[in-house]
Amino acid sequence: MIVSIPRETFSGECRVAASPTTVKKLLKMGFEKVLVERGAGEKASFSDAAYEQAGASVVDTAAALSQGDLVLKVRALSDAETGRVKEGAHVISYVYPASNKPLIEKLAARKVTLLAMDCIPRISRAQKMDALSAMSNISGYRAVIEAASHFGSFFTAQMTAAGRVPPAKVLIVGAGVAGLAAIGAARGLGAVVRAFDTRAAVREQVQSLGAEFLEVLVKEEGEGGGGYAKVMSPEYIKAEMELFAQQAKEVDIVITTALIPGRPAPKLWEKRAVENMKPGSVVIDMAAEQGGNCELTVPGQVVVHNGVKIVGLTDYPSRLPTTSSELYGNCLLNLLTDMGGGTGYHVDLSDEAVRGALVLHEGALMWPPPVVEPSPQAAQAQKPAAAAPAPEAAAKAVKPKRPYTAIAGVLLLGLWLFLKFTQTGAASPATLAFLQHLTVFVLAVFVGWQVIWSVTPALHTPLMSLTNAISGIIIVGAMLQTTGTSGTAALIVSLVGALLAAINIVGGSYVTQRMLQMFRK
Amino acid sequence: METVLLTIAYLASSVFFILALRGLSNQETARAGNVYGMIGMGLATLATFLAIKGGTTASYSLLMGALVAGSVIGSIMAARVAMTAMPQMVALLHSFVGAAAVLVGFASFLNPGDHAGSAIFVVEVGVDIAIGAITFTGSVVAFLKLDARISGKPLVLPGRNFLNLAMLIGIVVTGVLFGRAEGIEAAMIWLLAMTAISSLMGIHLVAAIGGADMPVVVSMLNSYSGWTAAAAGFMLGNDLLIITGALVGSSGAILSYIMCRAMNRSIWNVIFGGFGTPAATSKAATPEGEVRDIDVEALTAELQAAKEVIIVPGYGMAVARAQHAVYELTSLLRKNGTRVRFGIHPVAGRLPGHMNVLLAEANVPYDIVLEMDEINEDFESTDVVLVIGANDIVNPGAETDPGSPIYGMPVLKVWHSKMCVMSKRSRAAGYAGVDNPLFYMENTRMLFGDARDKVSELVTALKAGR
Repeated sequence: MIVSIPRETFSGECRVAASPTTVKKLLKMGFEKVLVERGAGEKASFSDAAYEQAGASVVDTAAALSQGDLVLKVRALSDAETGRVKEGAHVISYVYPASNKPLIEKLAARKVTLLAMDCIPRISRAQKMDALSAMSNISGYRAVIEAASHFGSFFTAQMTAAGRVPPAKVLIVGAGVAGLAAIGAARGLGAVVRAFDTRAAVREQVQSLGAEFLEVLVKEEGEGGGGYAKVMSPEYIKAEMELFAQQAKEVDIVITTALIPGRPAPKLWEKRAVENMKPGSVVIDMAAEQGGNCELTVPGQVVVHNGVKIVGLTDYPSRLPTTSSELYGNCLLNLLTDMGGGTGYHVDLSDEAVRGALVLHEGALMWPPPVVEPSPQAAQAQKPAAAAPAPEAAAKAVKPKRPYTAIAGVLLLGLWLFLKFTQTGAASPATLAFLQHLTVFVLAVFVGWQVIWSVTPALHTPLMSLTNAISGIIIVGAMLQTTGTSGTAALIVSLVGALLAAINIVGGSYVTQRMLQMFRK
Repeated sequence: METVLLTIAYLASSVFFILALRGLSNQETARAGNVYGMIGMGLATLATFLAIKGGTTASYSLLMGALVAGSVIGSIMAARVAMTAMPQMVALLHSFVGAAAVLVGFASFLNPGDHAGSAIFVVEVGVDIAIGAITFTGSVVAFLKLDARISGKPLVLPGRNFLNLAMLIGIVVTGVLFGRAEGIEAAMIWLLAMTAISSLMGIHLVAAIGGADMPVVVSMLNSYSGWTAAAAGFMLGNDLLIITGALVGSSGAILSYIMCRAMNRSIWNVIFGGFGTPAATSKAATPEGEVRDIDVEALTAELQAAKEVIIVPGYGMAVARAQHAVYELTSLLRKNGTRVRFGIHPVAGRLPGHMNVLLAEANVPYDIVLEMDEINEDFESTDVVLVIGANDIVNPGAETDPGSPIYGMPVLKVWHSKMCVMSKRSRAAGYAGVDNPLFYMENTRMLFGDARDKVSELVTALKAGR
């Protein structure tokens, strides 16, 4: 199979579908030949010589499209390009099938098999080929860099000899892949970062990157399946707008990344919010291509309103062309590996990732794919929620209330009955003495119970050696027994007892002291 | 000395003992607590010595000799023992209490004084000797196990619960026969028989419990030694013994309870359950995947870059005597500006609080040594977790795998950190015989080798790297 890498013709597009490294891997994977159009990698800093060194053949525009069995591209084919593609060829690129019907019809007529990189499903297994996420990550980073270049101050707080500079306050709206990357980049530059998202699930991710997570008081879950957000209720949106209008007074930089699949971008940053901002502030509207999150955004341009710069760039990935091309190429490689590589290349309809991306199969329309289960995160989130009550219930079932009071009562009753029926007549002095000792004993157990619970766990070993030492109090018993009248046997036995108890007392106290002396701050 | 004064001295001693335990509630007052304990003990001994009546010069001097000899032996033992050998030492001391209680019981029976013929007295003697004998032999077995003189593996005899029951019945029967026997010689025979059965039971009870359950066993024996003293108090009609025994007994009981809770098991399960037997482990899912290792050089770089480091020590650190090297590592990292803390699981080691004592010995400040509950939420923001010689206490299977025998046991959630490095001698499973899914996690790296050698190498590399 011959793979071809044409030059991107879309104006301003600096990326290319494969870097020289990608080419090398394609050949290693078993594709017989890789054709690269002359100058394809120029804007991404890949020279034709580098491609040739990697094993590709550098060819003319016409040959690049017409000879390839498998065409790898970034942007969707243009009208002119469509006509030159070989009949029955396979094409992999961004397609956006929902808004590119005419293109699809034309390619269908030429029996083309078309795979859309923008339709790779968001499942864990397909993450390695998810070009959208890879590009979003780059965009988020680049958006911060653009903001920095338009912003008239430092991001980080600085204490200089000439005076103090406060840190920049950055608000990120929408904590998807791009938003999270922007949080990371802005934090890296030293800014104070806040983030807002309608999906409560991302709170942890936001906080893990060191940003503050803003919330509105209206409770509503914004998780809309596939890991994307959904449209919120009017009350929620109103509260959200209030929050933004407030935040606008405080923040220096706003980066909006809010997108809802299949709809124009929601208008989140109203004109009044822009007017609330300090002059010199920057709004980076990453949703400009889909109409923009800011009311004043002009796609592709930087406009100034009341001293606030509103950046509506649409080509962030293309502004980091080398890395974007490299990562896009890797996504393609990962997809091709799953499709069998160069030797075993085939379109497997049972493969969820391939099926999701497949728009045309030998000219037949395959899009949209049958609906499979929604977002993996949502499924994961539901599972523990469903599973949680079970163990709790089980714990309740196996842990009945223990009737300590009842047990104590039964024991006391038993004791009374025992003493009543074993002793005739009035209670003997021995019985009375026993009861008196029992009282002391029970009270002492309670005192012990209270005191021991307050011992800090770090001192449990010294506690054991100390209690061990004081349990050597049995020495008192041994000593009292040495003065009996009934001969040497008792004397010897008690002397040995006293000896052992003395070892215990002195050894235990000393070792406790040794341990306690080591504990220091 | 008059009885009144003796009683008051005993009362003062009791108060001192309570103050001693109270003092242990935190590190600042702990030393004062121990001093209270010693004062109480000295007071009680002195008062008793002065109060003994009717002895001969010979008996006084013999007693004096016994006390002095015991003190000397005790001091030498305490001065010599290494902090890593503390579990053995504690177990051995428990056995002395048990033995002393048995001997006092016999002496008391031979020398009943005005108690002669009292039914309650006879019962008290029996109870004192039975508990004392169990404590004695149990502690000796625990000592031998902890000192690795016999295998730490649980001894599983067929029908061992039945054996325990039979022995218990045997103790009760011989005890009753002892109480009913006519004449001192017949009684003595039954009493000796009961002592023998109790001793066997003590051996069997402790032999059946494996190495990692030792914290529970030792604290249980601690408890028994207290109840023994209390039983002796009843026997001799001595309130000081009763109070002290009750204090110690409840202390040991609470410690056992805390240890059991830390393992999510009931005390009965620890004493009678066949933990660690093959049947229990076979159900656990075998984790799959690849074990990645790390060398000292790479780990050094990670540690230098880390801002937050938590060290989780286990019994392996005690075995390798690595605590001093760990301290050196800690102080180097702290000098480097890294925040280093220690996470201690309640059952790490072979004694409650064992790890704290070892770290204290190595001069690690106690305010960076934290309990499981204090530190468990902080792993997420930690760059590197260094697990030294611990296994079951960091097993994620305890949370996720219902088939695992340690399922439900609270563990240190080290896998939430950015990187978790396990220093281990080999890939072998921990005491519980459970494979640890942590080894196969993506953020886990293994540092194979002797803990002390590896930590020392780290220290050298860190010193060279600055």
